[in-house]
Amino acid sequence: MASLRGLSRQARGLPLPQLARSPYAVGPPSRCASSQAAAESPSALHDLENSTLTRQQLSEEEKKQFRPWKRAADRKGSLPSSNYQYHPPKYNRGPLHPIQSPPSSDPVARDFVPGPFNHPRLKQTYTTTIAPDLMTLAYMHVPPGTPKKEPAQRLRGWDGSSPYHKNRALRGPRGGAALPLIERDITFTNIPAIREITVASYVPVAVQDPDHLLVARTVLLAMTGTTPEITKTKSNVVQWALRKGERAGVKATVYGNDAYEFLDRCVHLVFPRIRDYMGIKASTGDSSGNLSFGLTPEEIKLFPEVEANYWLYPPKMIPGARIFIKTTATSDRQARLLLQSFGVPFYGKIRN
Amino acid sequence: MGKLPTTLLRRPSLGGCLTSVSPSHSASASLASRHTTVLAPGPIPSAARHQQVRHATFVPRSRRPYQFTQLVQLSDGSTYTMRTTSPIALYKSGKDSRNHLLWQPTEKSLRNVEVDEAGKLAAFRDRFGSGWDADVPPAEAADVAPKDGDKAAAGGAEGKKTPAEPEADPFDSLVDLISAYATEDKNIKGGLSAKDQAKKDKKKK
Repeated sequence: MASLRGLSRQARGLPLPQLARSPYAVGPPSRCASSQAAAESPSALHDLENSTLTRQQLSEEEKKQFRPWKRAADRKGSLPSSNYQYHPPKYNRGPLHPIQSPPSSDPVARDFVPGPFNHPRLKQTYTTTIAPDLMTLAYMHVPPGTPKKEPAQRLRGWDGSSPYHKNRALRGPRGGAALPLIERDITFTNIPAIREITVASYVPVAVQDPDHLLVARTVLLAMTGTTPEITKTKSNVVQWALRKGERAGVKATVYGNDAYEFLDRCVHLVFPRIRDYMGIKASTGDSSGNLSFGLTPEEIKLFPEVEANYWLYPPKMIPGARIFIKTTATSDRQARLLLQSFGVPFYGKIRN
Repeated sequence: MGKLPTTLLRRPSLGGCLTSVSPSHSASASLASRHTTVLAPGPIPSAARHQQVRHATFVPRSRRPYQFTQLVQLSDGSTYTMRTTSPIALYKSGKDSRNHLLWQPTEKSLRNVEVDEAGKLAAFRDRFGSGWDADVPPAEAADVAPKDGDKAAAGGAEGKKTPAEPEADPFDSLVDLISAYATEDKNIKGGLSAKDQAKKDKKKK
């Protein structure tokens, strides 16, 4: 269309298909200031503008050679039909394959997820109020120039009694292989936030009656808005007639906006409707910033999604669930601080 | 729509082993396999033949339930939208954090205040004492406890009695004494009195 702009006003008045078919056969080009200027300095503007006006007129021979209908008749294969639709490949075959999947942000991509459709209320509160407040609350002034304190080595070394101790890797802590996390200070780069929320439901009755699994799956699907996955038993338990690897549970994980919405729903719609609710036990937590609590079947019924079509679920089959809130905090007290600012009440003794 | 970069070339050295496409994928990979058979230069070296090749990674379509945008109205009238699987357009909540004492501890109207317009509860207390109150908050229990003359009726109120409590109105304690005396009548035959029955029930719990 860049060439169209250079044409004279009369030529532009012509219907577009005519111009498109043979743009340089309109007739002798009328004098145009811009085209003249382009003709005067062809070398300077050659890369920027390749106007058809500066091109040579076709000779009669060349015009006879130009036969698009002939080319169409001689074509062996057929062009894609007018209702052709592009479908992205079903398989990724590596970065060097000629057929590549479109990025997941492309609406035709197979792994495209539309959204976001709203800005969750709790997330809005977090970004505007809670995060700055937490940062200010946890501010610890360090005078400038204070030497930075290096954390002590927590792994045990070797005493060097044997020559084989040289270059040996340090030993882990006493009494277990797990090295607990060190609490990081809350700074402007490190403010705790919700990372993900997992809702897990263990239904050992499903070994005898698989319908329980279906109901649990449906309930979790409604609650979280994601497709749950089936979990299997970890080990044999003879007393419960469980064998390892049996399908006896369901879990679903929500991330990002969904996680904030789920927590919002829990705190403001579900918890207040629980009878004699005191809060979450303050002794919860895995000492690395992940808190959890449980809901009984009676409390699961209070979720607005479950309540909406509660009569669809078979009675006595609605499962309880354990809910794990995983935060980016590195200690339980920071995670508790975050959740308390979200409105989650805690009760009882604080462990760590 | 999506762009297909066709300018990328394949590595010729691995072309030979790339031809062994598994049958389930062969339909969609027919183009690729045709390509590679042409490119395969000659006899495949044994090392390359036994080298593992990742042919394809499945790109799953995400399976999500339909989500509606729901308008939620809290009990104080404030509204907000929420993405949810529930098809109800407007969710009105009767009980939520806006009218719950745990979240609104300063709200006076949410406190458990008994309504006694006709004075029936007061009359009952006058007659039988306040040992019957179900759950007395600690602040009230302190001034309720000395009224309770019946030592046997050691309910929740008795346990919360503070030692440094000033003497209450003697009239109240007298009333309680009278009522306690009246119920201790053992002449009643054929079972327990109502108060004893209630006491027994309480112990069972």
